[in-house]
Amino acid sequence: MAKISVNGKEMDVSVAEDTPLLWVIREHLKMTGTKFGCGAGLCGACTVHIDGEAVRTCITPVAEATGKKITTIEGLEGDGNHPLQKAWVAEQVPQCGYCQSGQIMTAAAFLAKNNDPSDSEIVDAMTGNLCRCMSYVRIKKAVRRAADEMKA
Amino acid sequence: MNIQTKFNGANPADKDGVDKGRRNFLIGSAAGMGLVMGYGALPGAGGISEAMAAGTFTPNIWFTMDADGIAHVNIVKAEMGQHVGTAQAQALADELEIPWENVRLNYPDVAPQYGLFITGGSWSVNWTFAAMSQAGAAGRMVLMEQAVKNWGVPLAELTAEAGMVVHAKSGRKVSYAELVKGGIVARAFTEAQMKAVPMKAPKDRKIIGKSIAALDIPAKTNGTAQYGIDSFVDGMVYGAPRTPPVRTGATVKSVDDAAAKALKGYQGHVVIKDPVGMTNGWVVALADDYPTALAAAEALTVDYDLGPNAKVSSASIMAEAKEMMASGEGVRTFVADGDAPTGLKSADKTHTAVYTTSLNLHMPLEPMNALVYEKDGIWHIETGNQFQAVLQGVMPIVLGVDAGSIAIHQRLLGGGFGRRLEADYVVVAALAAKGSGKAVKLIYDRPAEAQFDFPRSQALQSLTAGIKDGKLDSMTHDTVCTWANSRLAPAFQGDAPEGKIDGFAINGADFWYSVPNHRVRLIKSKTGDKAAPAGNLRSVAPGYTFFAVESFMDELAHELKMDPLTFRMSMLDAKGKNAGAAPMSVGGAKRLASVLKTVTDKAGWGKKMAEGKGMGLAISSAQERNTPSWTGCVVEVDVNKTTGEYKVEKITIAIDVGTAVNPDGVAAQVEGSALWGLSLATKEQAMMEDGSIQETNFDTYNVLRMEDVPEMDVIVLSPGHYPTGCGEPGVTVVAPALANAIFNAVGSRVRDLPITPEAVKGAIKTG
Repeated sequence: MAKISVNGKEMDVSVAEDTPLLWVIREHLKMTGTKFGCGAGLCGACTVHIDGEAVRTCITPVAEATGKKITTIEGLEGDGNHPLQKAWVAEQVPQCGYCQSGQIMTAAAFLAKNNDPSDSEIVDAMTGNLCRCMSYVRIKKAVRRAADEMKA
Repeated sequence: MNIQTKFNGANPADKDGVDKGRRNFLIGSAAGMGLVMGYGALPGAGGISEAMAAGTFTPNIWFTMDADGIAHVNIVKAEMGQHVGTAQAQALADELEIPWENVRLNYPDVAPQYGLFITGGSWSVNWTFAAMSQAGAAGRMVLMEQAVKNWGVPLAELTAEAGMVVHAKSGRKVSYAELVKGGIVARAFTEAQMKAVPMKAPKDRKIIGKSIAALDIPAKTNGTAQYGIDSFVDGMVYGAPRTPPVRTGATVKSVDDAAAKALKGYQGHVVIKDPVGMTNGWVVALADDYPTALAAAEALTVDYDLGPNAKVSSASIMAEAKEMMASGEGVRTFVADGDAPTGLKSADKTHTAVYTTSLNLHMPLEPMNALVYEKDGIWHIETGNQFQAVLQGVMPIVLGVDAGSIAIHQRLLGGGFGRRLEADYVVVAALAAKGSGKAVKLIYDRPAEAQFDFPRSQALQSLTAGIKDGKLDSMTHDTVCTWANSRLAPAFQGDAPEGKIDGFAINGADFWYSVPNHRVRLIKSKTGDKAAPAGNLRSVAPGYTFFAVESFMDELAHELKMDPLTFRMSMLDAKGKNAGAAPMSVGGAKRLASVLKTVTDKAGWGKKMAEGKGMGLAISSAQERNTPSWTGCVVEVDVNKTTGEYKVEKITIAIDVGTAVNPDGVAAQVEGSALWGLSLATKEQAMMEDGSIQETNFDTYNVLRMEDVPEMDVIVLSPGHYPTGCGEPGVTVVAPALANAIFNAVGSRVRDLPITPEAVKGAIKTG
């Protein structure tokens, strides 16, 4: 049994302590916006925030998240209107879209700490997240657009 | 049994989705259904409702319109990142004359009336543009004719606009919604009548050609988009594959699950006995959750017979390819213009070059998965797939039931790239469900995804040119590679003089340059076919044929001391067979020349480059000669002569797709596909050893990341011709343009993909 806080809600889940947080979120909570890609922390599709830090849930045991605040794509902004989400639509970023929850969560943790990033800082922050459709040009533009909105 | 024997009778000729048995299209209203379009015959004086009652009507072809005037457009293509639903609906809505906000997309279950259900080949818009446009236009005609009946005015005095029929003379207007509510008398169109429905001139289009925001995007920014992996059903268990140590040919001798039984939540295992022969040697471990299923799969002790391929390697496949090329074993002739062998003999000078590519993996980010369960006598399959026609043929065999007892539900695809043309993961999920008597959601883990991919073939290509009077007079192009479609889609094969040929394994070699004597031949790799069965990987053959052809054209230009641009232009004369044909390839090689001019002008071809820097160009007519998208590319590279390391600084790419139905959507596809090309050219390589792919995850199978992305300049040309595809051609030009740029920068000719710094450095040393 693990006690976790997801998107502001306290929950008890009946799982072994070493269960990767990804599967707790997807299978036990049925919150499917967080994706399984590689299972080894290499692609970023499973990224959520734990106490505001971008974390790869496929390699994070649920025990490491107990007592901390977990935020998933579903809870990033109640109405889905985070500046990054708006920018993702404005720049028509997603293609297949499978990686984009992880991209947005990585970008959100990054912009929360640096809302005036240089281009190279954006690349450094985002290069760990794979997009197999290669929508990278638009991801970069959208992070820039959201940063500009958040700064203003 | 081979998969090819049960291909659902699908034939490429069915590509327009027209159900051959019922060629009449009916459009009219039915109680509770609004306006519907379907196939069938009208019984006597009755309407759609009567036809439905008589069982002679198959509804839901292309669209329905509800009583609020909202058009629900049926998308029978996989939504995998290309926003195909939006593009198809744009074509329909433009002709139907409805405002875009009155459009909704519907992704129906797979059904026979949709014809050949496949999403690939950059075909979707190309194959359906006319059908969608004509469906919309026919719908508009029926609505207008109803207004004629209601008002008693001549049709010629009516116009339709923004969901309204307007009689300007009397100032009367009626909305489509009101017409639908009042009832629409059904009208039948024969297939010939439907095909004769006129389409708008490009200047009259209002929705086609607009960069409308894709309808599938918002759900992909907030976690609500539903992919195959997001399907759940009550009582289901999770399946994880325990895969054999070799890619193909192993069988299971015994399984001991004592250790797995110690895992809480373990639900047993199923040894897969695959009647279509794709996945023998597999065992699926079942559990209450996926991590336990994975742990159980690992905990199984499995004894295998490794079969005949346990010693196959990339090196042995290539060694055999060289032997087959030398012997000509199983050769098929693909192009035979003039007499190339004789031409080579009388040439002033010849030049030969050999090019290779490695095994390449699809690696979509969503691993293969399917949920399969039986409920009330119907087997349900929830999955993202690109080739449902194969599922329609194969799944009755796998499940041992008739096709009418199987429902295939479309889900979003977390990447396709050709990987999801295959049925393997659905077959395994179904056999696990059938074998266990449970609802099973099977998910491949990443190592299974990598090792049991259907990779892009290793290709060995040898090109020889004969130069006569300072011109390219003769050319031969021999290729040995693995064929995807003699296995997957035999109906797609063509006829060569010597027998069947998988044209999709050599497409692109039939280029649009005028070369008087040109011969292209193809050989199927025997060992590759058995041990590393090829699939269709984004851009398929043009991903390697244009690498060879366009590298070779540069080599010849340098041999002739000509500018590579001038040399190419001299052969793009659009004469003879290169004149093109309406509607698909109208203009022929002239359009390719025009794209080449556009892209080189934009990139500043010929400008002075700094030491170690170079520009290279390449052109392509991918995907197929009959449906070319004319593509040109210039790559700028900076090469370190000492280390061979290089950095791609800029890609300029131009594409003429006839009509860009959604220009921004086309641009997105071209950006993505060009970067796919860059990834394949610079990073991606899988190696087979001991019959197994050695790269099992993204740590060793390297793909392009944001840090690798150069400056991009994408030019989409839309001259108003019939639309061709845009999802793949961008892949085909980057590798040769890069190889040519490296040569122009430092004089190093690399003929093997991916282009490694070691190879660049080595080629500098050896000149």
